[in-house]
Amino acid sequence: MSIKIALAGNPNCGKTTMFNDLTGSSQYVGNWPGVTVEKKEGKLKGHRDVTIVDLPGIYSLSPYTLEEVVTRNFLINEHPDVIINLVDGSNMERNLYLTTQLVEIGIPVIIALNMMDVVKKKGDVINVKKLSEALGCEVVETAAVKGIGSKEVAEKAYTMAQTKTRTVPQHSFGASVEKAIEEIGNLSRSFVPSEFARWYAVKLFERDSKVLEELHFTKEAQDQIKATIAACEAEADDDSESIITNERYNYIGKLVTKCLHKKNPGMTVSDKIDRIVTNRWLALPIFAAVMFIVYYVSVSWLGTIVTDWTNDTLFGEIVQPAVGSWLTAVGAAEWLNSLIVDGIVGGVGAVLGFVPQMFILFFFLSILEDCGYMARVAFIMDRIFRKFGLSGKSFIPLLIASGCGVPGIMASRTIENEKDRKMTIMVTTFIPCGAKLPLIALVGGAFFPGSPWVAPAMYFMGILMVIISGIILKKTRLFVGDPAPFVMELPQYHIPGAKGVLIHMWERGKAFIIKAGTVIFVACGLIWFLSNFSWSMQMVEQDQSILASIGHFIAPIFAPLGFGTWQAAVTTVSGLVAKENLVGTFGVLYGLADAAEDDPAMIGEFAALFTTVSAMSFMVFNLLCAPCFAAIGAIKREMGGWKWTLIALGYQTGLAYVVAFMIYQIGSVLVLGQAFGVGTAIAILLLAGILYLMFRSYKPKSEQSLKGARLEA
Amino acid sequence: MPLTIAQSGVQSIIHEIHGRDETKRFLESLGFVVGSNVTVVSEMGGNMIVNVKDTRVAISKSMANRIMVA
Repeated sequence: MSIKIALAGNPNCGKTTMFNDLTGSSQYVGNWPGVTVEKKEGKLKGHRDVTIVDLPGIYSLSPYTLEEVVTRNFLINEHPDVIINLVDGSNMERNLYLTTQLVEIGIPVIIALNMMDVVKKKGDVINVKKLSEALGCEVVETAAVKGIGSKEVAEKAYTMAQTKTRTVPQHSFGASVEKAIEEIGNLSRSFVPSEFARWYAVKLFERDSKVLEELHFTKEAQDQIKATIAACEAEADDDSESIITNERYNYIGKLVTKCLHKKNPGMTVSDKIDRIVTNRWLALPIFAAVMFIVYYVSVSWLGTIVTDWTNDTLFGEIVQPAVGSWLTAVGAAEWLNSLIVDGIVGGVGAVLGFVPQMFILFFFLSILEDCGYMARVAFIMDRIFRKFGLSGKSFIPLLIASGCGVPGIMASRTIENEKDRKMTIMVTTFIPCGAKLPLIALVGGAFFPGSPWVAPAMYFMGILMVIISGIILKKTRLFVGDPAPFVMELPQYHIPGAKGVLIHMWERGKAFIIKAGTVIFVACGLIWFLSNFSWSMQMVEQDQSILASIGHFIAPIFAPLGFGTWQAAVTTVSGLVAKENLVGTFGVLYGLADAAEDDPAMIGEFAALFTTVSAMSFMVFNLLCAPCFAAIGAIKREMGGWKWTLIALGYQTGLAYVVAFMIYQIGSVLVLGQAFGVGTAIAILLLAGILYLMFRSYKPKSEQSLKGARLEA
Repeated sequence: MPLTIAQSGVQSIIHEIHGRDETKRFLESLGFVVGSNVTVVSEMGGNMIVNVKDTRVAISKSMANRIMVA
């Protein structure tokens, strides 16, 4: 017999931690609500026939955001055999609100009273026996982080599924509400399965639109139900949903006073930290300083030290010559030697060299996510983002995207407003991800040596582009309207666990190493082949190669941006496969892996292609343009179709082109002192055009959007 | 008075939540119900962090304006 056990509970109460513990997997755990946006399945350790399902966190069974719909649909439509309801013991009142709803569904429920370690530390005492009796289901104390109790809950849930134990809700609503629910129950009896009768009756009473759609009532029955609800509402002078909510909370309030003994109320450590970190004057400087330090340390300072070592010493002096001389020693053909040494070791090595740098960045990001600061940043940025038509919630996808754009794009699901969500997806990849880091480090090292600001500047440029896009897009017909009101639970601060941070860092970094060994490996081999052979399959100089001829064909497109050489053109295109290829392709073409950043030979090669201004333009274009195929796939999934995907890609590439054009054309005059030309004039016109799009007053024609615009103004 | 002008650090009680929509329902499921205690933890340009039922919730100005406390 195969059994399905679902983990359900409020956001950020430890479901995924328990899931990992029970199944031995390593799904991503973070300290903010909404980390899990999709359901995840795994087999219970020691029981091949038991599937554990980890669900996105929900506050109630009336979903508000997209990922909450996932949970509700799973619980209602796929009826798992048992629900393990995780309840955060340090926040019982709010957590039990969901519990009162879960026990009504008609599926057996067992409660894992989680975070007991925190509760005990605070000195609070919970009477588990009373709680269990009052709720009508078994309660097990757990501390998922420490692996305490998880196994026990799972075993008990397993037994419950086998013995088909039923959970009978013990709470009841006030007399008049119960009467109304009973009447509705009688009316709907023939339309719903009997074991879910109470759940449907309550939901019908609340006028739940999804349930109403699902059931096909006769007109007569519908009217009768409406009349019953209206009568009850008139009596209580409130709407039916609020009546139920209030009754649930009243019940829980009484229950909690009976079962919970609190040691000391008053300000918690988290509150004290929040007073400083989210202080109206200090919040932004603190945030800017934190991000500056993260990028400065991981790219400019510590990152450069380790990357120089891996690039120059490990790959340049040890691996590449060793492989080369070994190949010569075994008498490999010259072309094979070239393929392996220049193509694969050169290209993949150039990318791998930056892995330590990425690990340092991921280490910091993991700490930021784990300690609880991330959720505060959303709050801090909401004030600014709101002015530009975005909600602060958009900031979480952006922060995640500084690791990798794919999970960043997926994190947009926690944004409830559809327009906000689509817009966030469009701008998420403007934030430089880990794979773009090598390019920043390379250009920064070659053209702005010793400058600490290049990496942080690219990060803040990403934010600036997000803001500019927000302003411009909000004034178009596609996006006009108010951002949804910002409501978000803030997790407690805690000191990040070394194990969690390291695992998280490794999981993220591993993906890059795997990519280097697969996609980039193949791409580098291909680039090597194309750059060493002509169309007639003769080994030739790079200038006569297939790659050069393709590059020459595309290059004119990039000429106005200052990098119209065939090498830069093919490099840009190869970045679509994976952004690490931007450096990997250079590695193949110039053998960067064995060249130090201050090596005159390499500077010579690189400087022949670029000036400081065109290098900046090249970097900015590649940071902003269409992301890699993996991220494009994620955009398509989240946008739900090609139309919006193409709009997003078109906007990104268009903006990248315009910005790079302005940097090159205006920069050439200002920085390099070149003559003012037609290009400069066009660049200034474009700049004026962008400013116009940003500052024009937009008056929507349709009646519907008028309200949004007025509120915005 | 609306929550936006409540003094920070002082506990007050919710006596009404205006409006009747999705967001109100979401606020309720987060613990913002009539009779609940709320304390403002910090305030930033009208947006605020509020302590309600042992959790900290960040809400925007427009939301805070709809929550009446006494």
